[in-house]
Amino acid sequence: MNEFFQKDIISVRDLNKQKLEVIFEATNKIINMDPNKRREIARGKALGYLFYESSTRTRLSFEAAMALIGGTSLGISDVSSSSTQKGESLADTVKIMSIYSDVLVLRHSLDGSSRFAAEVSSKPVINGGSGTEEHPTQAIQDLFTIKKEKNKIDGLKIGIVGDLKYGRTVYSLLHALGNYDVEVHLISPQVLKIRPDSTYDIKKRLSFTESTSLEEYIDDLDVVYVTRIQKERFPDEEEYLKVKGSYVIGLDVIKKMKEDAIILHPLPRLDEISVEVDKTKQARYFKQAEYGKYTRAALLGLLLNENGF
Amino acid sequence: MQESELIVRRIKEGTVIDHVDGGKGLKVLDALGIDGKDGSLITIALNVPSGKYKKKDIIKVENRFLKDDDTNKLAVIAPSATVNIIKDYKLVEKRRVSLPNEIERIFRCSNPDCVTNSSEHIESVMDVIDKDGRVLRCRYCNRLLDVNQLKYR
Repeated sequence: MNEFFQKDIISVRDLNKQKLEVIFEATNKIINMDPNKRREIARGKALGYLFYESSTRTRLSFEAAMALIGGTSLGISDVSSSSTQKGESLADTVKIMSIYSDVLVLRHSLDGSSRFAAEVSSKPVINGGSGTEEHPTQAIQDLFTIKKEKNKIDGLKIGIVGDLKYGRTVYSLLHALGNYDVEVHLISPQVLKIRPDSTYDIKKRLSFTESTSLEEYIDDLDVVYVTRIQKERFPDEEEYLKVKGSYVIGLDVIKKMKEDAIILHPLPRLDEISVEVDKTKQARYFKQAEYGKYTRAALLGLLLNENGF
Repeated sequence: MQESELIVRRIKEGTVIDHVDGGKGLKVLDALGIDGKDGSLITIALNVPSGKYKKKDIIKVENRFLKDDDTNKLAVIAPSATVNIIKDYKLVEKRRVSLPNEIERIFRCSNPDCVTNSSEHIESVMDVIDKDGRVLRCRYCNRLLDVNQLKYR
């Protein structure tokens, strides 16, 4: 039996290196599989999604992933049109959705919402982003992209740039990187530094430096992971305007980078990466988005099939 | 009998909480919901000189026997405390408080955005990840919790 069968995917903390490698291997299998055979993986199965926060990429990539392996998707992407508006609890909505589907994906603004949903659901729950710290499938996608594009993860120098305080992908990525032997440099404006109370576990497994200067590290990095300054999470617009555009990756920055360095971004981007950069060989964020479909398809395939695929 | 034990009178039935860190006695009363409204006799001595802990507080509560939840609260607030159960003036049980591996229900997660603070029907669960350092973590939101700022549900 495969170890992911019917298991919840709540936090990247629950995924050690061995488990991550199993997902990566399954992802490569999905990519190289005959399309007809691939469509058998989730035939007759339904993915139920509950998105209490707006999302384009995560929801669509889950839908695309499910379609890729022959399953269907149903769900709520706009809470204002659902019975939640009538006052239905999250627990009841999850219970109902777990009757209608074989696997659930939840995105919710409350921290810990996915763990709670998993407790009340009769079907496996995948955290599609909860609160400010957890986005496990994004971390899987990020790591897979690094591995695929750099042929390795161990030994790399990785810079994570931008909003490290509010960006939930950053925390999940750091936890996931804790499984590997990497050198991590965190680069952000002073007010958007990583939250110290959230790095208690990360520090035990990963050493990193913190700086406000991209210039200091850019010529030495193998991976530059850029994040958007999250306007919606700022309590005050004035504070947002002060840091907006702190780091912009343009062609001038590309010239300082290593030839074989890569740029990643969880997307959506605003102005932190200039569109001219899209054409450079370092730009891999659209490739990263594509891998997101395959990693999610692999994960769904593992969750739904007792003997894997 | 030591001088400190003579300050407050003996009780017939109930609990003596001794060796409470000096100055924490009132907080312990609050945490345990001991307010005297049920008419039971409560005596409390604050800042009693104590060789071992320099200053300690002592609480004696008649007709109440501490339960596990109460002991867990004590372990967080006053880790040096000892609990003495008294029946018919005799000490029938003496226990040191110690942090369990997990604490359910009694504290509220200090993260306002934690699902345990929402309107959902859910009890808080905190894992004790470092007993010596008294570091707790909410099992739902993973936030590390400052034991001095924990609020009771």
